[in-house]
Amino acid sequence: MSKRYFLVKTISETPLSGDQFEIALVASVRRLFGEFGVARIHPKVVRFDETSYEATVACNKEGAEDLQAAIGLISGISETTVTAMTIRVSGTIKGLRKRQGF
Amino acid sequence: MPRVDDVKSSRRMAELLRLAGYSAVALSIPTGLMRDRVSEVRRLFENEGIQTILRVDLSVNSRADLLRLLRRFRSAYDIVAVKCMNQAVASVACRDRRVDVVFFDPRNFRVKFAHPLASLLSGALEFNLISTFLGETKSEIFSRIAKEAAIAREHRSRVVLSSGCISPAMVRSPLQISAIATAIGLSSEQSSRGVRETPLSIVMSNQERRSREYVEEGVKLVTLKAR
Repeated sequence: MSKRYFLVKTISETPLSGDQFEIALVASVRRLFGEFGVARIHPKVVRFDETSYEATVACNKEGAEDLQAAIGLISGISETTVTAMTIRVSGTIKGLRKRQGF
Repeated sequence: MPRVDDVKSSRRMAELLRLAGYSAVALSIPTGLMRDRVSEVRRLFENEGIQTILRVDLSVNSRADLLRLLRRFRSAYDIVAVKCMNQAVASVACRDRRVDVVFFDPRNFRVKFAHPLASLLSGALEFNLISTFLGETKSEIFSRIAKEAAIAREHRSRVVLSSGCISPAMVRSPLQISAIATAIGLSSEQSSRGVRETPLSIVMSNQERRSREYVEEGVKLVTLKAR
């Protein structure tokens, strides 16, 4: 099944780990689209850079628009205010690298 | 926008807006604010390369008050938005051509965007998506916004999508705002136009109206150069 990859910039008051971000991401998808939505979108954090707080998130192509909405509605992770902004969307991880420079 | 005296938050917000890819921002300025304070706030955003557009949000309880405020403030602001507090105000705001944008408080169940208002609407309907949905949101509010989006879609109303943000933590990219609008039931065309074309066309037409050459719709002064 074809995928879409998102480059997400997170801005947090306290240090953030990839696991914490993934939990918040899945919770946001579940809140908006339910369990069936989580299965349909299938969000997964492929990579999380703990220095720049940039995440690469993968999802099914059909759920890309919905994942975009769910990322936009992440408000906090373990009582810390977090802003998650999509910087770029691509069909390949290589496409994201052009922007991210890793 | 944050509180006017909160310079740190305003600067941070300007940085995030630039990162998110915005080129312009509409600042909701309190009507009583001194001009030098307004210029100060605008400068904070313009230093980051974000063009600023002045907007006023009129929030009144009666039709007469709304008409009075429109006479007073229409010419001073680039965008005039009306928060519909009750049915009487909503009817006037939707019909009056001086009003650019109408919006409804999703927690105010006394008035809602319904079919009669959609057919009257001369400006655009605004959805403040981030301030509405961020954090704990009741299912009634999701349901109400989805119904309003369905009506706007059915009537092909012009829609403006905004974040309604009051703090840097609420800044989201235009792509995200457009995606949230599609998720609540707007068409993808309305969603993409709502973050770019529709707000831009409102600002452009108001700038034209406020120019010295403008007389009325379809009529403007043209100075002929002597040969």
